[in-house]
Amino acid sequence: MSSNELEEKPLTVEKRLTLTKFEIYEKPHIIVDTEKCEKCEIKPCIKACPAGLYSLDENGKLLFIYEGCLECGTCRVICPYNAVSWSYPPGGHGVWYKFG
Amino acid sequence: MSEKFDVVIIGGGPAGLSTAYFLAKAGFEPVVIERGQEPGAKNVFGGRIYSYVLDKHFPGWRKEAPVERWVRREKLSMSCGDDTITIDFAKKKPVSDDEFDSFTAFLSKFVAWMSEKAEEQGAMVLSGSKVDDVVFDEKGIASGVFADGERIDADYIVIAEGVNTLLSEKLGIRVKPPLETTALGVKEVVRLGKEEINKRFGTEDWEGVAHFFIGDPLKGIAGGGFLYTMGEYVTIGAVIRLSEVGKKEITMKDIAEQLRLHPAIYEYVKGGVLMEYSAHLTREGGLMDVLEKPYGPGYLVVGDAAGYILNTGFTIRGVDLAIESGRLAAETINKAHNENKRDEEALSHYKKLVEESVIGRNLREYRNLPKFLEKDLLYGDLPEIMCELFNTAYTTDEQVTRIYPVLMNSLKSHGIGWFTLLKLLMEARRSI
Repeated sequence: MSSNELEEKPLTVEKRLTLTKFEIYEKPHIIVDTEKCEKCEIKPCIKACPAGLYSLDENGKLLFIYEGCLECGTCRVICPYNAVSWSYPPGGHGVWYKFG
Repeated sequence: MSEKFDVVIIGGGPAGLSTAYFLAKAGFEPVVIERGQEPGAKNVFGGRIYSYVLDKHFPGWRKEAPVERWVRREKLSMSCGDDTITIDFAKKKPVSDDEFDSFTAFLSKFVAWMSEKAEEQGAMVLSGSKVDDVVFDEKGIASGVFADGERIDADYIVIAEGVNTLLSEKLGIRVKPPLETTALGVKEVVRLGKEEINKRFGTEDWEGVAHFFIGDPLKGIAGGGFLYTMGEYVTIGAVIRLSEVGKKEITMKDIAEQLRLHPAIYEYVKGGVLMEYSAHLTREGGLMDVLEKPYGPGYLVVGDAAGYILNTGFTIRGVDLAIESGRLAAETINKAHNENKRDEEALSHYKKLVEESVIGRNLREYRNLPKFLEKDLLYGDLPEIMCELFNTAYTTDEQVTRIYPVLMNSLKSHGIGWFTLLKLLMEARRSI
């Protein structure tokens, strides 16, 4: 049985992201000004990112990673404090959809 | 040393490649600059393209384009709890292939095909290169771009950057999209094999299903789930407005899972192999999202970047409008070039063409729909009321139950009176 054969239980987003192809660039294409995040109560990026790349550390500080970014642009649009500087990765890098 | 082309097109999606195809056909030397590793690498959509625009301009496409299945079955499901009501509309079997008005596809593969068509006509498609800036000359006319630090000059620039309007915002012609009209789509592709799909959906090899879901799989939020059958695959996904994400208890990374594990959908994909997970933004505001001025000195804006996306409630149309806008952009550039003009006034002809075209006519006709579709009533109350009705109609025991009193009770318990119904009907009359 293939490891990504579907069963009647959830697959973690991390698992699902391993199926999508990436050519990760060495430098991040997302920069977050986490100081601005401190005054943000709702932090909608955490719930909105379809790849689950935003989270909180044990002190409630915003953490994010750029590897696994699906390049949808949601975090940039949804951030109420414009704390997310978001551009696409350089040409030829980032997500590589085969079934988009 | 910089290179010079007749036209630089920023972005190799459906709109950009259509522009290139029609320009090259008219004898121009356009170059498409695409940031993806190959054409289609960054494109994501639900799964359906409408045929009419291809019939008009791409002779022979039905035999050569990467069509997955021709859509003959249209299904709509409303779920509450584990109950589901489905309407299954099977169009009559056509006499020939030419009659199908839509087909399922992977946009990545379709865009790769469009890229070949543009190259056949003589366009150049440069993949793996990202445009960071548009360059203006001393007269303020767009005259080139910077791509990966290299300057490429052109007489005309076409912005086909897609839904994330980063360059347009830099140029000051767009603002960051509002949450109310922006939606996030997530998609999973599941391999099942042709025969298994035919067995599960009751279809033949060529026959496709387009299925739309509202209600419980998405916890009653304003948005929809979709399922399309491809040749060997099934794609499932959801489109949710960003303004809903903050309001309700949903997490976008889990929404595709919720949909997949709902009984109405799980039975179709059970045992399949998950191939890819993807996400993409779209605009749902219709006319509200359209760029007021899709032209400027030396440049035009096409496709999603210009807001040419039509939300009809059941489906979001973009590819056909993108192709059409590319054609109109090419026509405009051809005309301006013949008059030896690059100024804003000459290029404003594009706006006129768009307004008279299938793009403008549809967006105007559907202008009230996006507001109507914001009603929570449609996603939470409506499926629940329908399920209560169907449960009554199709449950028989010693109880005496007629449908009408159940409907009245159900409406009452949802706080829906005659006035609300009448108002809804009046609004529907203007929007749907």
